[in-house]
Amino acid sequence: MSYNIDTWLKLAAYTGGGLAIGLGSIGAAIGEGHTAAQANQAISRRPDLSGEVFKSMLVGQAIAESAAIFALVVSLVLLFTTPANATFATVWALLAAGLSIGLGAIGSGVGAGFPAAEACKGMVHQPSVSKRLTTNMLIGSAVCQTPSIFALVIAFILLYTDTTSSPVWPTWAALFGAGLSAGLSAIGAGFGSGLVAGASCEGIARQPRSAGTVTNSMLLGQAITQTTAIYGLLIAFILLFKPYQASEAIAPAMALIGAGLCMGLGAIGPGIGEGVTAQSAIKWIARNPTEVGVITRSMLVGMAVAESTGIYSMVIALILLFVV
Amino acid sequence: MAIEGVDLVKAAAMLGAGLAMGLGAIGPGVGEGMAAAKACEAIGRNPNEAGLLTRTMLVGQAVSESTGIYSLVVALLLLFVV
Amino acid sequence: MQELGKIHQLIINLGAHQAAFNLEVMLMTWIVMGLLLVFGWLCASRRTMMPGRLQVIGELIVGQLHQLTEDAMGKRLARTYSPLICALFMFLLISNWIGIIPHMEEPSKDLNTPLSLGLMGFAIAHYVGIRTKGFKAYISEYFAPMFFMMPLNLIGELAKIVSISFRLFGNIMGGSIIILVVSYLTYNILLPPFLYAFFGLFVGAIQAFVFTMLTIVYIATQAK
Repeated sequence: MSYNIDTWLKLAAYTGGGLAIGLGSIGAAIGEGHTAAQANQAISRRPDLSGEVFKSMLVGQAIAESAAIFALVVSLVLLFTTPANATFATVWALLAAGLSIGLGAIGSGVGAGFPAAEACKGMVHQPSVSKRLTTNMLIGSAVCQTPSIFALVIAFILLYTDTTSSPVWPTWAALFGAGLSAGLSAIGAGFGSGLVAGASCEGIARQPRSAGTVTNSMLLGQAITQTTAIYGLLIAFILLFKPYQASEAIAPAMALIGAGLCMGLGAIGPGIGEGVTAQSAIKWIARNPTEVGVITRSMLVGMAVAESTGIYSMVIALILLFVV
Repeated sequence: MAIEGVDLVKAAAMLGAGLAMGLGAIGPGVGEGMAAAKACEAIGRNPNEAGLLTRTMLVGQAVSESTGIYSLVVALLLLFVV
Repeated sequence: MQELGKIHQLIINLGAHQAAFNLEVMLMTWIVMGLLLVFGWLCASRRTMMPGRLQVIGELIVGQLHQLTEDAMGKRLARTYSPLICALFMFLLISNWIGIIPHMEEPSKDLNTPLSLGLMGFAIAHYVGIRTKGFKAYISEYFAPMFFMMPLNLIGELAKIVSISFRLFGNIMGGSIIILVVSYLTYNILLPPFLYAFFGLFVGAIQAFVFTMLTIVYIATQAK
């Protein structure tokens, strides 16, 4: 039984499209549900502020949904376009594009739910700062989307990559590995930076005078939390643009998939861990704004050390790519 | 395409190295983050002891990182020795 | 996309071995050092009791970094090592920022720069450890808690060099690749300037600080 390339392309496109939107909507659904639950609790406490809370719930949910919308876009592109100049490597590229944005949207979706939920909760505790809270929530949850945007960039490059000039055998593994690396590494970073943004909204509601300090620390914490996603993106780019020599052996292909998996999986833990650190640091910066210098310093050291296993993953991935 | 035994073993070692380091990095990452989170909380409560608390945090993180380093060692062994 | 991974190298044959010099990185490193020397000379050349603008900036940087070192290491060690820490931070900061200027490359984008700085910090930390604790106590730490843990303790120490240097390298390299790819995709219209500002100024400053802070902490933990 033999199939021609068009059959395989259709197969990969439909599977990839299904995986993209199927995996991609997990995160947004959880995040939005969390927001709605907290908003309901908040309204039951102060029914007179229901309009205000309802509005910020909707705004927060709209941002939390953007990662899932990226997944939808990629899924639609996969379903309705046929790539030109397709080779068998393109088949894997389509599958990897779907996996990349599907996995990449999970973390950002869940993460963006936290600031929205905390903003709704904080609004009924401190109605006077509701404007400041909404601004902070918007900044925080927008920054949460960065890892899913990285995954989106990789997904689009995979969709439109031209594989005619490179040998099929190791290239398919490189493309698949790139998708896995970018997608998996976005999970931890998105989730972690959501925790950070949530803590900052809670802190502003508790201590409105420290709002400026808290927003700045939030941006700092989120930027460091997302470094592991940047490593994932780096490995994905090297996988995509490195020239390969044709070979029939299995080992080089497995090394490329291994590099992508190693970086992707290895970035999950540090992303979440760094998010937990920055969450707690920001909570206490809000309660004790005079000690912001000392707390920020130990937060930076703690996060840097928590990231080291992610860096070991990057080193192993680079060895798999360049040395072995 | 004929699959050779040596090639297959090498392929498994490569994939195994990636999985070992990738999965092994998850736990220490979360654990070290928790250690650092508690240290930040403690410094927020008692900023005067920041030096002592940071040192304790680093020792705790170094210990919880040891499983991550075991993964690194195993991955390197798989890549260069096996 | 051809700009990716293009390195200007001077390769010299030494018998059976080859020595490769990354010319661009060396040039950029010297430019950074030259900038720092000029800045330092300008700050310190006309010192008065009523400081001018440059002197204030210089005193602020030195004072802050000295305070940072003193908090972690104590007064005695800080007297010896705060100049080093100060120089390290300013070198890294300028190295990470210099990529903002067109046609300039960050020296820290090449793994050799962070790796050598990490090795330097490692060597100094262990020198301090041996000086303060004595050789015997220093060695016996590797055999704690049990003597067969020695190889793992050793690898744990060596892994610190890897993590500190690859952190800087990964961030700067990742940042510059993102900028390159986004400018390629959007044809230099709108996004790249913002990305330059974020990855160049913000991430560069954070990573310079993290590297410096970790060097301080490594020295301080060895001294205790």
